[in-house]
Amino acid sequence: MERLQVIEDFSSLQARLTADREPNIPVIVIPAGTCGQASGANDLIRVTKRELLDKGLTDKIHLRVTGCHGFCEAEPSVLIEPQGTFYPKVDAKQMVRIVQAVAADEVLEDLLFADPETGRGFYRYDKIPFFRNQQRSIMRMNQALDPIRIYTCIVSGGYGALQDVLANRSPYQALQEVKDSGLRGRGGAGFPTGLKWDLLAALPDEPAKILVCNADEGDPGAYMDRSILEGNPHSIIEGMLIAAYATGATEGVLYVRNEYPLAIKHLMIALRQCRELGLLGDDILGTGLRFDIELVRGAGAFVCGEETALIRSIEGKMGEPVQRPPFPVEKGINGRPTAINNVETWANIPLIFKLGAEEYAKVGTNGNTGTKIFSLVGKIKNTGLVEVPMGITIEKIVHDIGGGARGNGKIKAVQTGGPSGGCIPADRFDLPVDYDSLAKAGSIMGSGGMIVMDDNTCMVDVAKYFMNFLMDESCGKCFTCRKGTQRMYEILEDISNGKATLQDLDLLEELAHVVKDTTMCGLGQTASNPVLSTLRYFRDEYIEHIENQRCPAGVCKELVTYSINENCTGCGLCVTVCSEGAISGEKKGRHVIDVDKCIKCGSCRTVCNFDAIDVR
Amino acid sequence: MNANEIRDIVEKHPSDRGGLIAILEDIQAKYSYLPEDALRLLAEETGTSLVDIYGVATFYSLFSLTPRGKHLCSVCMGTACHVRGAPVIADEFSRQLQTDPGETSSDGEFTLDTVNCLGACAIGPVVVMDGHYFSNVDSGQVKRIIKKTRAGLDDAQIKKHMRHYLYDVNCSRCNHSLMDPDHPIDGAPSIRLTMSSERQHGWIRLSALYGSFTVESEFGIRTSTVLDVFCPHCHGELKSPTTCPLCAAPMVTLFIRSGGVLQICSRRGCKGHMLDLEGAGI
Repeated sequence: MERLQVIEDFSSLQARLTADREPNIPVIVIPAGTCGQASGANDLIRVTKRELLDKGLTDKIHLRVTGCHGFCEAEPSVLIEPQGTFYPKVDAKQMVRIVQAVAADEVLEDLLFADPETGRGFYRYDKIPFFRNQQRSIMRMNQALDPIRIYTCIVSGGYGALQDVLANRSPYQALQEVKDSGLRGRGGAGFPTGLKWDLLAALPDEPAKILVCNADEGDPGAYMDRSILEGNPHSIIEGMLIAAYATGATEGVLYVRNEYPLAIKHLMIALRQCRELGLLGDDILGTGLRFDIELVRGAGAFVCGEETALIRSIEGKMGEPVQRPPFPVEKGINGRPTAINNVETWANIPLIFKLGAEEYAKVGTNGNTGTKIFSLVGKIKNTGLVEVPMGITIEKIVHDIGGGARGNGKIKAVQTGGPSGGCIPADRFDLPVDYDSLAKAGSIMGSGGMIVMDDNTCMVDVAKYFMNFLMDESCGKCFTCRKGTQRMYEILEDISNGKATLQDLDLLEELAHVVKDTTMCGLGQTASNPVLSTLRYFRDEYIEHIENQRCPAGVCKELVTYSINENCTGCGLCVTVCSEGAISGEKKGRHVIDVDKCIKCGSCRTVCNFDAIDVR
Repeated sequence: MNANEIRDIVEKHPSDRGGLIAILEDIQAKYSYLPEDALRLLAEETGTSLVDIYGVATFYSLFSLTPRGKHLCSVCMGTACHVRGAPVIADEFSRQLQTDPGETSSDGEFTLDTVNCLGACAIGPVVVMDGHYFSNVDSGQVKRIIKKTRAGLDDAQIKKHMRHYLYDVNCSRCNHSLMDPDHPIDGAPSIRLTMSSERQHGWIRLSALYGSFTVESEFGIRTSTVLDVFCPHCHGELKSPTTCPLCAAPMVTLFIRSGGVLQICSRRGCKGHMLDLEGAGI
């Protein structure tokens, strides 16, 4: 790869790549993020390559392997460009047919994504409700480029915003543009990004300033950052480069959690290609801009997503938060000024410059501009990553895009904001999703996890789950967080075992408020949210556990028994999966479960095709 | 533990920031856990107190102070997996492997771990075995997953009917075929090249099966040695200006007769490769 010496070199490379493009040749696009690969995308890629080579089609059909497109439910999927034909849940045999169909310019109607209501196939991916109701400005880039081939990124507009900024704007103007866009940090707290940059830019150049990308996406249930890191690592690098120009920072750190091996691999490749091309290093594109990015891997600690803990972790110490102020922007890594933004925030920066701040700010609502990516998971039909303008209602996300409940369940709540967030009940789904409305409802926006819960989800169990998580992840520095989360967990455990009293409920609430008020960092201050919000909206479920020793959702093991109802056809499937030999019965007759042997593992319920297992 | 290996690792990392965690990661990668001797030596070498090292080693869940099993089984406990039944899966693994989460089975084969979200929420419950993802797992599949892992997941990956042989690979300089039908590997003609390393010179044969990393060679090559690779016909060197995406060693370029360019990493043991069907790639 030849190093680009001046800005014009970049423009001519971009022009050359664009001219080499053959827009009339169909492209088979296969998303192969972690989810895609786990569902079998690698096999599809192999089969496609074999078919293209065997049939001599390499100059008639092109192949592009990309990151995740967001429709995880449909993985492994295939998209044909430019027609926009979308085939969900493809297997290797079907892939052979798809390649043949593309070569013959045909559409395989039996493999199209079918409308759940009419059963008719959608001819274009953007007609499918899941995609149609989104506004995909960041996620769309994931399908346009191959993350390990930088030229495919440049030809689809990557680094164009950087080139424009370097050629046409002063650092001050660049900073102003970000401020005007109204972008707020996508990591959860919603701090205005422009203001943070402004504080950093105002500081002298010595000691050298540092920019950090917080890619320690620890919230269980949120994975939009992973998808950007894997699918378009260049958008983050470009965002950081623009910030380096605007604020005078010379060093960058990408702090990535170790649980994301594919993201780390793609980032390392992207960083190396940028250095080879001269987009990172000294005198970038001949402008005198000096900036490089170091990749630091986390080592598995949720609290390191908190910015002061993150800094300690980058310094190689235990990730314990420290008191603010001084804020990292004054005293960060090794005492040097440090501005930390989250992955999605960085990915928004090139977009602001591509559209212009004014155009960017038209999306969303006043004070909550731009789009936000949510990970819609749990008991929902269309699981996946959805990008929507801020201020859209939960109802729209859950029903129009998510397609409503999975199976026969009835949706009763969504949980937002991970362990720091709370549950919002179905009757409040008219709530707009923005930083302030969610906070008022007792939850938070957080990094964008949205876990859908139906009537088979027990809210006490959910609160217990999060408390167990927080008890594990509390760094132990503040006494009230260390012991408070533990005691709250114990009370919740008693409730789910049917051993609690109503007084315990008052104690739980009191404890929750104490922990909230007396801890130092974000983890502790929000640790009570899962308890407080479920108590606020689902107190009756708690009381049912305490007074009647009954778990309405059939989740809390100690309170339920398994039995077989009259739907049983005696097929014997459950007998084969029961590891305890607790199920018996005549062939074709109604079976019974021996409650003394039953360990309530749920295997029988999972396999039963006749809804014959009762859990009460 | 080999003291020189630890010193090598320490030397590789800059001492100013972040060093300690990266050093511990490398030590764990080498020994699968953090041996006490290694930590004592590390304290001596870096001048960091053993207490601080112990603090970091126990703070982060990635590190283990006890030896780990041959296979690592991670059950995701993220919220989405939890509501879809992950605790039942973890229990079932516990029962099948007869070990508690965080512990290693008595035969030393499996370490069972529960992790807080792997970020693959849409396909939960998720289990990762030695880096291979299993999606939508239910408790009935647990036994099969363990069995598959024992058998070796790398081999199981390419199913027979989906195999793809790069039939004809040519020298990127003289365009002469490099296929060697007399010495099949993985049931098909192998790709024959000449290599040299540390003043030794000899043949090397690669599997032509896409996705297989089987290699035979005239003399043994130490893992992570970077080889010089030549065409056995024109004796031209096949090194390309591109570097390996995984390890930055030079790539070796080969042409596929039916179209496309195959690049493989010249470092022994590295799996970096790129198959571009439309020209030179990157």
